[in-house]
Amino acid sequence: MPPWLNNLLVLTGCAATAWLLRATLFTERSRRATRRLRRDRVGLVCAATVTLFLLAGISDCLLVAPRTSFLDTAFRNVPLEEGYSAPMARTTFDERAPKPLKGFHLLGTDLLGKDVLLQTLKGCKTALIIGGLTTLLYLPIGALLGILGGYFRRWVDDVVQYLYSTMASIPGILLLVAVMMMLGKGLDRMAVALSLTAWIGLCRLVRGETFRQASRPYVDAARALGQSAPRIILFHILPNVMHLVVINAILGFSGLVLTETILSYLGVGAPVGTASWGIMIDSARMELSREPAVWWPLTAATGALFLLVLSLNLLGDALRRAFDPKAA
Amino acid sequence: MLNYLIRRLLYMVPILLGVMFLTFVLFNVVNTPRQMAYRIRGPKASAQDISNWLQNHGYLDQEGREVPPYLNIAVKRTPSFPWVRVEVGKHPFDSLYFRSMKRFATLDLGTSFATDEPVLAMLKRGAVPSLCITLPAFVVGLFLAISTALLLVFVRDSALDRWGTVLCVASMSIPITVYVIYGQLIAANLFHYFPAFGFNMEGFSTARFIALPVAIMILSGLGADVRMYRAIFLEEVRADYIRTAQAKGASHARVLLVHMLKNGAIALITLVVAALPFLIMGTLVLESFFGIPGLGNLMTNAIQTSDFGVIQADVYLGSLLYLFGLLLTDLCYAAADPRIRLQ
Amino acid sequence: MNGKRFFSLLTALALLAALAGCDNNPHPRALREKRGDGKPWVVSYRAIGDDPRSLDPQVSYDTMGNAVISQLYESLLQYSPFKTDPYELEPCLAEGMPRRIQAPDGTETYEFHIKRGVFFHDDPCFPKGRGRELTAADFVYTFQRIADPAVECPVLSTLQEFVAGLGPAYLQAKEAAKAGGTFDYAKPTGAITVVDDHTFRLNLLKPYPQIQYWLAMPFTAPVPREAVEYYDGKNGRYLFKFHPVGCGPYRLAEWSRGRLIRLARHEHYHATRFPKGGWPAGVDAACRPLAGAELPLVDEVQFAVIREAIPAWLLFRQGYLDRSGVGKDVFNSVITAGQTLSEAFRARGVQLFRDVEPGTFYSQFNMDDPVLGKNIRLRQALSTVYNQSRANEIFGNGVDIKAEQLLPPGVIGHDPGFKNPYRTENVDQARALLAQAGYPGGIDPQTGQPLTLTLDVVAGNAESRQRAEFDQIQIQQLGPRCKIEENTWPRFQDKQMRGLFQMNSGSGWNADYPDPENFFFLFYSKNTPPQGSNYARFSNPEFDRLFEQMATMDNGPARLALIRRMNAILVEQCPIILTFHPVAFTLSQPWMPRLLDNAMLANGGGLKYTALDPALRARKIREWNRTPSWPLWALAALGAGAVGYAVARARRSNL
Repeated sequence: MPPWLNNLLVLTGCAATAWLLRATLFTERSRRATRRLRRDRVGLVCAATVTLFLLAGISDCLLVAPRTSFLDTAFRNVPLEEGYSAPMARTTFDERAPKPLKGFHLLGTDLLGKDVLLQTLKGCKTALIIGGLTTLLYLPIGALLGILGGYFRRWVDDVVQYLYSTMASIPGILLLVAVMMMLGKGLDRMAVALSLTAWIGLCRLVRGETFRQASRPYVDAARALGQSAPRIILFHILPNVMHLVVINAILGFSGLVLTETILSYLGVGAPVGTASWGIMIDSARMELSREPAVWWPLTAATGALFLLVLSLNLLGDALRRAFDPKAA
Repeated sequence: MLNYLIRRLLYMVPILLGVMFLTFVLFNVVNTPRQMAYRIRGPKASAQDISNWLQNHGYLDQEGREVPPYLNIAVKRTPSFPWVRVEVGKHPFDSLYFRSMKRFATLDLGTSFATDEPVLAMLKRGAVPSLCITLPAFVVGLFLAISTALLLVFVRDSALDRWGTVLCVASMSIPITVYVIYGQLIAANLFHYFPAFGFNMEGFSTARFIALPVAIMILSGLGADVRMYRAIFLEEVRADYIRTAQAKGASHARVLLVHMLKNGAIALITLVVAALPFLIMGTLVLESFFGIPGLGNLMTNAIQTSDFGVIQADVYLGSLLYLFGLLLTDLCYAAADPRIRLQ
Repeated sequence: MNGKRFFSLLTALALLAALAGCDNNPHPRALREKRGDGKPWVVSYRAIGDDPRSLDPQVSYDTMGNAVISQLYESLLQYSPFKTDPYELEPCLAEGMPRRIQAPDGTETYEFHIKRGVFFHDDPCFPKGRGRELTAADFVYTFQRIADPAVECPVLSTLQEFVAGLGPAYLQAKEAAKAGGTFDYAKPTGAITVVDDHTFRLNLLKPYPQIQYWLAMPFTAPVPREAVEYYDGKNGRYLFKFHPVGCGPYRLAEWSRGRLIRLARHEHYHATRFPKGGWPAGVDAACRPLAGAELPLVDEVQFAVIREAIPAWLLFRQGYLDRSGVGKDVFNSVITAGQTLSEAFRARGVQLFRDVEPGTFYSQFNMDDPVLGKNIRLRQALSTVYNQSRANEIFGNGVDIKAEQLLPPGVIGHDPGFKNPYRTENVDQARALLAQAGYPGGIDPQTGQPLTLTLDVVAGNAESRQRAEFDQIQIQQLGPRCKIEENTWPRFQDKQMRGLFQMNSGSGWNADYPDPENFFFLFYSKNTPPQGSNYARFSNPEFDRLFEQMATMDNGPARLALIRRMNAILVEQCPIILTFHPVAFTLSQPWMPRLLDNAMLANGGGLKYTALDPALRARKIREWNRTPSWPLWALAALGAGAVGYAVARARRSNL
């Protein structure tokens, strides 16, 4: 794929997501919630942090030349070293024969001599792809099935319930491992595997909420006016459950990033050559038991992961508070 | 009541069938019998050796033909319409899938592919060590989580509450592998209080083996639990009955620990009871790091060695336990809340 | 009230810590306190990487199984403990080395006398539970088992080519199985001719000097028929593979899956004794008092099943394991630049051993591949550029030996002075070769695009991932692009078997026995899958001819000349990129001096010659495992603080 096409696709995707978010969160109906959110300092800080992570991820998705991203160009002056080196060190991390380094590395280098800061930043892209792509896949399925089951009830609901009960009965991590082994390695495939388990929770939530909404007078009124079922679902029920979907997606995003670390532990994580926090953490098992310990790749990866997940969780909480004033 | 119970049990059957079909398809695609044979017979195995193994384990019939995975039918191309012809033999259901279904229907969990040991024996052996870890961790963890949540509700809207909640979220944001790596390194390497590894059933002092994994398990799960229970209790604390109780002059402690806990318990039951059956399944990461010969360890090992016999039996057991947990929750719910009736 | 709960919890925690506090010993108690003769019962603690799949000597073909089986079973011959260059065989269950009788029709016979007074372990499967004496009939039975398809002996396909009667017996049993029958143990196979109770002959179809090595392996170790038939897995009895009965120096006392394998000495073991001489000067002081001693020297062996590397190392550091390998992650703290032991460990009295293992690792080209198979220069270029020295530094701390020839050190025919012209790691030379190959700069002139090669790897853990990435960098620095294909091990093996790969890496061969035949057969064209392990699908008529000639020759200058020529063909044709011969560093605790330096016995057979000093061990363990008390106080203070805060707040606030 030529760089310009890739960039166009990435930017279009970003714009579409941003527009969708705006359309759901900043509607007439949720004006009060937005006002509340603007006063929530923790929420705002978290939103800013998440945006920073997104920017780092996107900067690695935009290509300036084939196989060279914007982020790579920014780090073009950071050379590949011989092996481990500690943060801001002058020589390689080798007690027996330290060699002088070719460049400066704020967070040190890893076993193969790659800059840990660059790897950590590149990990944002991996996290973004895993989280974003999965969300994109499971959100429509989960929301649609949930609404259908909740609105039509009877046999439709039975089918939806059967589907998610069956999927939920299989121990989740096993299902993931099996699907990953079947599909082979790759971030896109991991997203497919993750979305297979991720939709269950959302579907349940949306189904319950739709139940509640469907028995409200406004739905009855719409029905009395002779509106068709698709119309009622699309224009009356969906906008009323959309905030739940968004909050669930934001909280789910962090869960997906954490699941990636467990998959990496089980050996079915991101493919070789991808910078991912899960893989950095898994490699650290051995690095930490080195003497002296190599702590910086683990610290950098855990730090980035921690910050992203924490911000996402707190942001999700803030949104929930904003939309559900009773709980605040 | 009995009627309800029977209906619920019957409802499990299609779900279990679905689960078994899904796992069979998934793992059969992932891991063909031939690949399994390679894994088990090792890198130096010859082709003769592999076909021997396949035959002895029922994947090849005596003529050396592969037993079909799903249906024992042959689909042949024909030159004219309808282009394909399906040939149904004498035993159309004589396939790997139906053979294993027959076994599971009679509650026969089969044998491990790696060692030929009955899976039931392996599960029995692993259940006790697993429970040794999960049961104390669950009980102590529940107690700690509820006390902490109560404490936070007690001091709600203070700095302690705000930072406590943030701390909870923070502790949820650290992957479990990081907890285990640091826990083992620090506690076992620096302090020498407990064995760094291993497990022996030796009565009372078994405690020294489980102390470390239990502590790590509690610590890694505490944040999420506290946050959840806090939310439940917060909902209760605003209820009218609390104000009534206070107006009647009940002490803070009494209001909090008797009135609120009792009402909050109904919400807690759903969470707790559903989790109970899963205790027997053990923990994946912890057990293999600490060498606890439990079911989690069995499972990790089975995944890593592609022991399909064990994996399938474990999935079957896991789904059974899950469905059983759901049923149990409903029953407890009805018992605790007189407003709910089972029909 | 809330506070009270916290306090009670804290007390409980403190109690728990105090209760267990001073003891972090992970091992269960020994079987006995004292030996029959009043001396202390000595236990050795070892780690094993996983449960063995099977303890049936005719079946097991992995390192875990071998580590345990070679304690439980013994064979006719064994590797002489102190002779390593070259390795030498000596009698074990046999009275002496066999008499070789060559018949005019090209067949051969080996005549063995078995030692008298060799007994099987005491076991309920024997009358009165007392182990019976070993006789020639047991060998007849053992060779029948090798041929039985239901037993699944992995080396049958090799042995049936040379040992009389095995192949026909196997085929007969296969035929019988179609009618629902089983192997007919009443019918002799023809492999063994019994002369008298303690004498038998092994019949070969053609000359095969390597058969002696097979007779030193557990595959040919005698098993008692009573035990195999008694332990059938029915009525609560174990399967035979979980309840081994042999005549080795130890018997299986306990096997708790996933946790512990406990062996105890075989009370009636007299087959071998400690050698009366012949040890190297370095261990003279330790060996002299043991000369001619009864074996085994240690009464009980506990193998703790430890699957992860970190806990095994932690336990060794604490003194709870008698021996440990040195992983690359702790390497720097244990071993200095000069490859000797670091100061901290020397002060502890730990000893370091360096063993070159008789094995070779390599990456393979698929010779059937349209791009690589026809293009010898391309293969040479890729072989030349691969920087093994760098890989050794990164992945092996620079201790593995860079391989330039197929045969590893210690195997007859290894040439220490040999330099491989296509393993120079010279990028310029490799570029020149690549240009000759028709891909100047790695660009395919027909398409104008970089040549893309696909490399199959097994990637499960962190190290294999890093190795794959390293291989990718190596190929790409030459110009071509490299696509990594990650596989689970079975899928990798499946692709190797079917030839569905272009290049793969991480393959290797560890010697079954130290003879060049055991390495060169990997490139013999008749061993192409599915017949054998020639996964590179190398086929060279001259090589095949030389192999057939060399395989059955006796050692001597003529054989050596053939071996050199075969090596030259492999080097020039480059069906593989030779990477390294593995070197293992082993640490031994001060209380367990290591006497043997024999790689063929390292994983098993050497255990019976190991002695240790339990009193020194107890002292050192106490010294190395002191417990500090400040963490308890810190924990208590933290808890008290939290409760204090809550109580203080409760006093002044409203609900």
